[in-house]
Amino acid sequence: MRMIHARLLALLLMLGGVTSTSLALEPSLDLEQWRGRVVVVDFWASWCEPCRRSFPWLNEMQAKYRDQGLVVIGVNVDAERSEADRFLAAVPAAFKVVYDPTGTLPARYGVSAMPSSFVFDRSGELSARHLGFQARRRGEYEAVIKQLLKSAAPGPGPGSTPASSINASGTTP
Amino acid sequence: MKNGKIGSALAAATYSLLGTLPAPPAVAEESGRWDLDTALMYYSEGDDRVQDVSLGILAKRSFDDDRVLNLDLTVDTLTGASPSGATALGAAQTFTRPSGKGTYTTPAGAIPLDDSFLDTRVALGVGWTQPLARLYTLSAGLGFSTEYDYTHLGANLSLARDFNQRNTTVSAGLAYSMDDIDPVGGAPLPLSAMADVGDLSNRRGTDSKDVLDLLLGVTQVINRTTIVRLNYSYSDASGYLTDPYKILSLVDPLTGDTLGRSPAPGTEGPSGVYLFESRPDTRAKHALFGEVKKFLGGKVLDVSYRFMTDDWGIDSHTVEGKLRWPIGDSMFIEPQLRYYTQTAADFYQVSLLSGEPLPLYASADSRLSDMDAITVGVKFGWTTPSSNEWSARLAYYSQTGNVDGSQLIGSQNDFKQYPDMDAVIVQFGYRFRL
Amino acid sequence: MKRPALIALLLSITMSPGCASLGVSPWERDVLAKSEMLLDGSPQEAALDDHIYFSKEASSGGRSFGGGGCGCN
Repeated sequence: MRMIHARLLALLLMLGGVTSTSLALEPSLDLEQWRGRVVVVDFWASWCEPCRRSFPWLNEMQAKYRDQGLVVIGVNVDAERSEADRFLAAVPAAFKVVYDPTGTLPARYGVSAMPSSFVFDRSGELSARHLGFQARRRGEYEAVIKQLLKSAAPGPGPGSTPASSINASGTTP
Repeated sequence: MKNGKIGSALAAATYSLLGTLPAPPAVAEESGRWDLDTALMYYSEGDDRVQDVSLGILAKRSFDDDRVLNLDLTVDTLTGASPSGATALGAAQTFTRPSGKGTYTTPAGAIPLDDSFLDTRVALGVGWTQPLARLYTLSAGLGFSTEYDYTHLGANLSLARDFNQRNTTVSAGLAYSMDDIDPVGGAPLPLSAMADVGDLSNRRGTDSKDVLDLLLGVTQVINRTTIVRLNYSYSDASGYLTDPYKILSLVDPLTGDTLGRSPAPGTEGPSGVYLFESRPDTRAKHALFGEVKKFLGGKVLDVSYRFMTDDWGIDSHTVEGKLRWPIGDSMFIEPQLRYYTQTAADFYQVSLLSGEPLPLYASADSRLSDMDAITVGVKFGWTTPSSNEWSARLAYYSQTGNVDGSQLIGSQNDFKQYPDMDAVIVQFGYRFRL
Repeated sequence: MKRPALIALLLSITMSPGCASLGVSPWERDVLAKSEMLLDGSPQEAALDDHIYFSKEASSGGRSFGGGGCGCN
């Protein structure tokens, strides 16, 4: 029920957005549906070597904390889908993957380094932003997730606060 | 960010669930891998001149978090003859070998070549690169090389800082080297005369040279397919900068003929008066280098230019161009072109005039003269299914001197005095991962 | 009136998304990340060539250094 509702809204908004964009489906990330969970949005590309190194860790995090409510979403920014597919064949992703070849999502999120990950708490607020992936900081990255998972899920009723607003705990370099 | 919020428009996301989520793959060992870049090169000049075979191995190993170790080894063997700097004469000429233990003869009309060169050089280098902070990269390295008459030891350090989301990189580097020269037979006193066999009275022992290099550079991404870089470099050398094996003919100021001499009774020796060259004991060079690399729908064009000027009076220009042309999915062909031109050092001269006071510095080494050089080459590469790359390269290198008539005297005009040089370069390469 | 306008202009330039003047966004470095687009992509060939030219000419060096590539981390 909620899915159909969301899709209708999506269609209306898409049509409404025709004046400013082309008729092509504008990629977007609907984080509203993950309210109550901790979400990690990770921007990656096939040509990015540190992304290759981050995948095993992202897979590990997704598996380890899925039951506690962690959702990892990888946003691929390759211009060619075939490149992304080739990468995934060699380095599998055990988490959701979204494809954005147009670069709309990274622009909107203000991605300033590759890879970049944005961590949202259970109420949809941006809690942390990591620029790049450093193996030696894995403990630190994991600690952020664990901390956010500890806090309880917010009460029901979407629309009371705007989902995913930035509370600048991440700074722009 | 145009506004402070990440919008979460309620449009349908285009995500795909990867079927049923599998058990997470085993955490990949973050073991570094060795990247090897190896090459075998054969260099051969025409007319029995220099031939060189080189083997080079570059090994690179990446560690966690953008730390890299570089190791390199080069071994090369040099044989063949090099112009000594003496002029060509209408008569045969005899010279004492650099070792002082024998002579060699040049036929009439030919440019004298010293064929005493047989040398093997081994060079080793190690380098380490690591980030200091997110936008700062530090590199440090050591180099060592040794050959029969020369030992080199060097160290380098450089720092790079990225700006504008890594579109701009500014780098500064310093290198210092200490070289020891131990010429065969000992370093000759500058402008002393070549002596008979067994006479090393005008020879000193070993000498040394220090070089300080400074390099400043900017790399800038222009757009998705274009990148440029600009480097300024300064080099300061001091110590023994003379070539211990090069000579100048002492000639009659009217006829241009080399003054004759006879060896002492019972010995062999030079048939003419030849003086060992002399260069200043300092040299300061400035160079400006610019390069553009452009991706043209699969092809890659690389064009560069370098201008060099020094306090020996030498100015040079180097222009290089390469166009990498892919063939299918796994092969490429790359034509290469290089043009080089330099002006002569202030103390370069074809010969020394007898009866005139000797200058402080003088050299007839063609490498310090006014000359042009061109290299034309082509490289083929093919990538194997396991992503290793083979390459083969063939190039032709030609040097032409610009010695004009005003620098030649009398009979010197009768013979070709400048040792124009043609060389063929054949190189095979293999890049692979271990 | 001039000063605030100038400051506003400078701020809008320096704070505009992406880079100050030239370049690409971090997610648009696919072409620059290709090995054939690296500035020092053939180090062995460059080293062997440098050795020849250093031995046969009066000039040397000039290249080296980093920058370009994928711009990651």
